Amino acid sequence: MLVTWRYRKRNSIIQSFDPRAWILFFVCFLASTLFFWDLRYLAFFFGLAIFVAFRSGIAWKEMRRAWLFIIGFVLFFALLTFLTGRGGIELYKEEHDLAVLKAGFDILGWQPTLRITAERTMFAFSMIARVSSIAMMTILIPYSLNPALYGVTFRGLGFSDKIAYAMDLTMRFIPTFGRDFTQTMDAQRARGYELDKVRGGLLDQVRRLAPLVVPVTIHALSGSEDIIDAMDLRAFGVGPRTWLDELKYTRRDYALIAFGILMVALSLTLAMWGYGKFWVPDFLLALAH
Amino acid sequence: MASHPKEERMSTTPPLLIENLSFRYRSRSELALKNINLRVEAGQVLLIAGASGCGKTTLARCINGLIPRSYKGELTGRILIQGQDIRAISLARISQLIGTVLQDPERQILGTKVLNEVAFGLENLQLSRKEILQRVDAALERLKISHLRERETFHLSGGEKQKVALAGVLAMQPSLLMLDEPLASLDPASAQETLDIVRQLADEGMTILLIEHRVEDVLRIAPEQTIYMTGGEIRYFGPTAGLEEAVDYSEIKLPAEKIIQRAARTRPTPPPPPRLTGRSTTSSRPLVRFENVSFGYETERSVLQGINLSIHPGEIVAILGPNGAGKTTLVKHAIGLLKPKSGKVWIDEQDTHSLSVAQIAGQLGYVFQSPSHMLFAPTVREELSFGPTNLNHKPEAIAQQVQEALQIVNMSGMENIAPLSLSFGQQKRVSIAAILAMRSRILVMDEPTAGQDYRNYMQFMDAIMQMPNFDAILFITHDVDMAVIYATRVLLVNNGQIVADGSPAEVLSDFDRLRANRVVPTSLLLANLQRRGQLQSFKRAEELALETTH
Repeated sequence: MLVTWRYRKRNSIIQSFDPRAWILFFVCFLASTLFFWDLRYLAFFFGLAIFVAFRSGIAWKEMRRAWLFIIGFVLFFALLTFLTGRGGIELYKEEHDLAVLKAGFDILGWQPTLRITAERTMFAFSMIARVSSIAMMTILIPYSLNPALYGVTFRGLGFSDKIAYAMDLTMRFIPTFGRDFTQTMDAQRARGYELDKVRGGLLDQVRRLAPLVVPVTIHALSGSEDIIDAMDLRAFGVGPRTWLDELKYTRRDYALIAFGILMVALSLTLAMWGYGKFWVPDFLLALAH
Repeated sequence: MASHPKEERMSTTPPLLIENLSFRYRSRSELALKNINLRVEAGQVLLIAGASGCGKTTLARCINGLIPRSYKGELTGRILIQGQDIRAISLARISQLIGTVLQDPERQILGTKVLNEVAFGLENLQLSRKEILQRVDAALERLKISHLRERETFHLSGGEKQKVALAGVLAMQPSLLMLDEPLASLDPASAQETLDIVRQLADEGMTILLIEHRVEDVLRIAPEQTIYMTGGEIRYFGPTAGLEEAVDYSEIKLPAEKIIQRAARTRPTPPPPPRLTGRSTTSSRPLVRFENVSFGYETERSVLQGINLSIHPGEIVAILGPNGAGKTTLVKHAIGLLKPKSGKVWIDEQDTHSLSVAQIAGQLGYVFQSPSHMLFAPTVREELSFGPTNLNHKPEAIAQQVQEALQIVNMSGMENIAPLSLSFGQQKRVSIAAILAMRSRILVMDEPTAGQDYRNYMQFMDAIMQMPNFDAILFITHDVDMAVIYATRVLLVNNGQIVADGSPAEVLSDFDRLRANRVVPTSLLLANLQRRGQLQSFKRAEELALETTH
C-alpha cells in the first residue's frame, strides 16, 4: 500500500495558499535562486526560505532526520569543493591565497597542500546559501501539501489526467520505498545480515548489497503491477475523468503567483544586466597575500 | 401478461457463462487453465477453492478482463458476462459489470482518504461530482462504514481496509462481484463480517465469485455452488453440499464434525504429537522475558503497554488477537528489531539493548509475515544458505540444514529454482525454510499459514513441531485451529496488552472474552470443548474421530 508523507493540517504559511499557487511560487523561487552566485543576492532567498520554514508549523522533531540530512549533505559538498578547489572553477579565473597549509610529509614525491583562498571560501558560503535555500523550500512541500490533493493539484497546473495521477503516485512512492527498505532491512537483519560488515572491493560490496537491493526492487515492481491492476479494474485511463476535489484560487493565491513571477522577471533582468555573479568581498581580497 | 422480450432475455441470460476456457501465460509452456466450463446464476455465491497454484487467480484474471489485456498469453474459449463476450467490450465496461476485490486490500487501495478511494472508479467514469458523492455515500452506508468517510486509508485496520476496497467496487454498481481470497489477512471477526456482507449482497441479487482457502469459514454463509480446482482444471463443480464428499478432507478445511464423521470411517494414521509437548518447565530459566515493556512508534500513541511475559523451554505459544493489536510489535521486540521505550526484554538473560539483531538471530529465528521482503537469491539453495552463512555455520552443516529445511516445507527437489519465480504460497514456504535452516533455539513465526492452502500448512506445521532443535516456538495467527492443534499456551493480545495468558483450554473456553477480542470460536474448538471430559488436551478432528471410535 502506498504510504504518504507525514502531512497534517497545521497553522502554516504554505497551507494558507492553494497548493497550485504554492507549487508555482516554488518553481519561481527555484528558477530565481539559480540565476545568482552572489552571496548578497542569495541571502535574500536564504532569508525567505528560513522565514517560510519557521512559519511552516512543522516541529523540529517531525523533520529532524530530514533537516540533519540536508545540513549534512550541504556541508559535506561545500567542504569537499572548498578542500579540492573544484566546483567553482567556472565562476572565477584567479584565486587569492588567504593561507597555504602544507603537510609535513610527502607521498611518492607529492606534498599534500591545502590552499585556502578568498574565492574558495566565498564559493563555499554561496553554495551553502544556494543549495540550502532550495533544499529547505523543497523539503517543506511533502509535509505541507495534502496528499489527497496531489493529483488534482497537478491536473490544475495543466497536466493531463494520466500525468497528474502518475505524479500523484510518484510523490507517494518515495515514502513507500523508504518503508519497504526498512522492512527488508529488518527481515535480513533477522537472518544475521549486517550492513556495516559489508566489506571488499566495489563490485564485491555491490554484490553483498543484493539482499537489500533485490527485494526492495522486486517489491517496487510488483507493487507497481498491483497498482496498475487496481487502476485498470476501476476503468482508469479510458477517457477524461472527473476529479472529485475542487480547488479554487483566492486573491492571496493570485498575489503569491504574481510575486513569484515578479521575482523571476526581476532575477532574469538583473542577471541579464550582469548583476548577481560570483562575488568576493574586498576585505577578503585585502587579507590575501 | 406477456413479458417484455428484454426482460425475458435478462432472465435467461446468466450473469456469467464460461465455455471451454483454456489459457497459457506467454512465458510458460504449460496451460494455466484447461477447458473450464461453468455457469453461474444471479444471486448465487460461487465458492472457488483449490490449492496454491491451481489456477484460481488466473481464472479470476480471465473473468475480469486483466487476461489478455494486462497479462498476455494464449486464450481460447469464451467468457460471457450478461451475455456479452468480454473480449468484445472495453475494460471500462467490464469494470462496471464485474467488480473485483483483490487478495490484499492494501494492494488495491489507491486513495489516501476513504472518500477518494471509494470515488476513484466513479471519477474514471466521468460521472458528475453530485452523482459520485451520492454513490459513495450509498456504498459506505450499505457496508455500514459511513463513519470512515473522512479517515485516511493508511490508518484503517485490516478489516476496515477490506470494507473500503469493497465499497470502492460496489460504488461502480457491478452485477457480478469477484473477491480473491478476501479473508487471507483478516482477524476472525473481520472475516465473519466480510462474509456476512457477501451473503447479504447475494441475497439482494448480486452474483458473487468467492476465491478462498478458508473453506470452512465460507461454508457458514452457504454458498450455492462450489468449484474445486487442481492443476488448472475443475475437479468438482456443483452444489456445495457435494463438495464435502467429493474432496479429500486433508485437502481443504472442512467443518470439524464432517471430518470426524469421515475419519471415523477411514481411521487415518494419527499424526505424531508435537515433540515439544511435555517438555514445558515453567520453573526453568526463561528463554525470553519481557519486563514491564512499553513501546510506541509515535510519542502520542503507545502500541505496547506494560507487557510482562516469560517464554520457557518446551512451550509452543500461539498469539491471537485482532488486526492492529500489537502482536507483530510484541514479537519484533524479542528479536531486537524494536527496543522498548520503557522496560526491558531479555533473551537468555541478556538485555536486547546490549545485543545486535544478528547476535539474537543465532538464538531466535523470526519468520516475517511477507516473504517478498526477504527473498533475493538466484536459487532456493542460496536463499536458504544465506542465514546460516551469516551465522558462520560450517559449509557441510549448511548443506544438510538446507536439505532438511526444504524437506519440512515439502519443497525438496526445488533447490535450483529462483525463489522469486515461485507462487506466493511457495515463496512463503521458502521464507519459513530459510529461517528453519538457521537452526535457532527459538522459532517465531508471524502468520505462517496466511495465504497457504490447508494441506501444505498442516504438513509443514506438523514437520516443524517435530524438529529437535527448537526449545520453544511462538506463532502469531488468526487461525484459531492452529492454536487448538499445536499450542501449549495461548496469549490473547489486544490494544497493546496481554488480555489472557494460559493453556488453550483456559483461554479458548471463555467465548465472551474471545468475541470481545475479535476471535471467533471454530467448529474444531467446539468439538474439543464438547468432549472436554474425555480429553487431556485439545486435539485435531482426525484424532477426535479416533478417540470416539475407541
